[in-house]
Amino acid sequence: MAFNIFVQLLVNSLIAGSIYALVASGFSLIYSTSRFMHFAHGVSVVIGAYMLFQMYSLLHIPFLISCILVLIITGLFGYLMYKGIYSPLMKRKSSSIVLLIASVGLLILFENLILMAYGADVKTIGYIKGVHVIKFLGAVITPLQLVIIIASVLLLVLLWLFMHKIRIGRDMRAVADNPELSEIMGLNSKKIMALAFILGTVMAGFAGILIGMEQNLEPTMGMGLMIKGFTGAVIGGITSVPAAVLGSYIIGGAENFGVWFLPSGYKNAITFLLLFLFLLFKPTGLFGLNKGVKK
Amino acid sequence: MIESYLLHIGILIAIYIILGVSLNLALGFTGLLNLGHVAFFGIGAYTSALLLKAGVSFIMAFFISGLIAAIFGFLLVLATRKLKGDYLALATLGFSFVIYSLMLNLTELTRGPLGIPGIPKPVIFGFKISGLLPYFIFVTILAVITVFLIYKIVKSPFGRLLQGVRDDEIGLKVLGKDTFKLKAKSMMLSAFFAGIAGSLFASYITYIDPSSFSLAEIILIFTIVIVGGIASIKGTIVATFIIILIPEALRFLYLPSTVLGPLRQIFYALILLGILLYRPKGLFGRIDLE
Amino acid sequence: MILEAHEITKNFGGVRALNKCSLGIKKNKITALIGPNGSGKTTLFDVISRLIKPNSGFIKFKQERIDKFRPNKVAKMGISRTFQDPRLFKNLTIKDHFMMALSTNDESMFAKEKDVEWKIKEIMNLIGLTKPLHTLGSDLSYGQRKLLDLGVALAKPHDLLMLDEPVAGVNPKLRKQIKKIIQNLNKKGETVFLIEHDMNFVMDLVDHIFVLDAGEVIASGKPKQIQNNKKVLDAYLGE
Repeated sequence: MAFNIFVQLLVNSLIAGSIYALVASGFSLIYSTSRFMHFAHGVSVVIGAYMLFQMYSLLHIPFLISCILVLIITGLFGYLMYKGIYSPLMKRKSSSIVLLIASVGLLILFENLILMAYGADVKTIGYIKGVHVIKFLGAVITPLQLVIIIASVLLLVLLWLFMHKIRIGRDMRAVADNPELSEIMGLNSKKIMALAFILGTVMAGFAGILIGMEQNLEPTMGMGLMIKGFTGAVIGGITSVPAAVLGSYIIGGAENFGVWFLPSGYKNAITFLLLFLFLLFKPTGLFGLNKGVKK
Repeated sequence: MIESYLLHIGILIAIYIILGVSLNLALGFTGLLNLGHVAFFGIGAYTSALLLKAGVSFIMAFFISGLIAAIFGFLLVLATRKLKGDYLALATLGFSFVIYSLMLNLTELTRGPLGIPGIPKPVIFGFKISGLLPYFIFVTILAVITVFLIYKIVKSPFGRLLQGVRDDEIGLKVLGKDTFKLKAKSMMLSAFFAGIAGSLFASYITYIDPSSFSLAEIILIFTIVIVGGIASIKGTIVATFIIILIPEALRFLYLPSTVLGPLRQIFYALILLGILLYRPKGLFGRIDLE
Repeated sequence: MILEAHEITKNFGGVRALNKCSLGIKKNKITALIGPNGSGKTTLFDVISRLIKPNSGFIKFKQERIDKFRPNKVAKMGISRTFQDPRLFKNLTIKDHFMMALSTNDESMFAKEKDVEWKIKEIMNLIGLTKPLHTLGSDLSYGQRKLLDLGVALAKPHDLLMLDEPVAGVNPKLRKQIKKIIQNLNKKGETVFLIEHDMNFVMDLVDHIFVLDAGEVIASGKPKQIQNNKKVLDAYLGE
């Protein structure tokens, strides 16, 4: 009996962790190249999910085409945020605090635009209707959830390959590691930052699609997802994408196994508490480098 | 009708002036990047509401709500004393999330999302302050006292040291000043005033729930301080009027409330972004946010 | 001895910045700490003022162990110091700087203080800083910031004045001026402990020299003795 519950919680942890990992990897990618906390990343996920709702559920565009459109839109959204707000602020040499506050402003702005456009009521995309349940060691998992786990892992592997096997990916890592030196060596750090924003926000778009298929949509869900993803990134180590991914699975686990001991209302509180504790005692994260913390 | 509407706006402005000026004491004058000010506001509101409902007198509840908020302020400084920059900002944001989720989840105490209704109006020396006009006068007096006290603090030798903490903490340490104590005192004062603002808010609205102390609220207070200018008390006061009054004009467009709420938030966000982009020192500030 | 450092060792990660470094400062004398770049001079200053915690060893000031104190306590005990890159409060005025240094009770919220402008003027005359009192820290040139940093250290009650490269990066005229100031201070009975990179600057200024190389004191003595010490010359030439 207890074993069943254990396996079920493990499965749930993997599902939650996969979604958080997608959010965290994009966030960490952006943080490591531009060195500020892009909190509006949470709203990118929401935009992804609502665009899927718009394309697929309202306009009845075929599902795969809808998904591709969503990724294009979110990529464009990432670029516009960078070009319209962050880049001008960076030009004035604004501190990372100013950029952080601007990002919270962006989050509030777009969250409320979605709220106005689509209303506060919960939306369902309903791509996969009938519920076939797969039983696995006494745990229950739906095909969709299986797809989510596999798709996220696949995407994260793709991201890793991109970062390590392709030149532009290496350039991004170079800028993340040492922006000044990269500049001297002839890399255009602005272009690379813009690219990180596009790529990171596309990852958020992916997360939005997967969440949209699995859960109901609410305009205000961005903040919660951002905190999960961000906490994952902090626990793993914010400047390293793989570390952020690992941290996200830890969050997924902590949340789901935490409800074994605590009422489920505390699911979010567990995350906040972990975030707070890590910021206080280990701001570099479990696997992160000792970078970017002390200035 | 119009009169009571104006008084309502006046009361909100007075409460937000207390919140804004107290945040500026920590943020602008001491350089403590506190994104958790709203948590002190909430702690004050809940403390006061619970005490009043338990039959404690208003004056007691009012001061205790400030004191409890100040204790949390001290704990926050103690816990975050080694953090700087965005990490400090995020830890304080995390703190306000922890407080927010406690409000939601400590249902035995806070009744969670149901909130606390029927918070009594203040009774001071046998006078019940219940009408709009008396409450307006009452809150305005307290706002004036707060502004006066904080003005005195920043202009004092102590306030000069707070600014020293903001500009160069190590430089101040080698002058023999205890910078941790200074930061703690500043944060505790800031939290105290936010706490009493919470008490005033709770007794005015007579109903509180966690949604009054969410992220949207942090943005509003932060926008006020940044629009007015870092380390400018005058700026914060002027900005409070602007930020609270202008969205009120939207009301006359007779939009449904489902549109009005988000529209107001969009306005705050746009103003905040606009100021950061085009006038980063705010209307009256001299100092850059670092 | 007003100040004694006893076998101070400090590691930064794998790098040993100070290795069993010992020295003593005599009252009413000017003592210099010289050595090539990266030899650990500023690290030793930071350990003394407790901005850095040593891995081992101890510091005595006026016969009392101070290495367990916090930096503000060390400063209150009577150690004033400057920084190679002056630490100033850019949004505060010159007057604010001096008032903070002179005041001993301003950490209380209800502190009242007398206007001691005459005292400030006196110190400004001594160091030759001629800017108006309401000038902001951020509006000063590098040389003026060096002077203000020195003035603030002087204004703060102290028994030992530690100067970290007081003439680094300043023009030859100001260099002479600062040298003169240090000599005058010493005549008034100040105890000065200074870091200097340039050996020639200290030769005719100081009473005693300690030479630091790779975190160790390799020589100490009167300027004349140091000048001809082979070890010292090697350390400088091998730089």
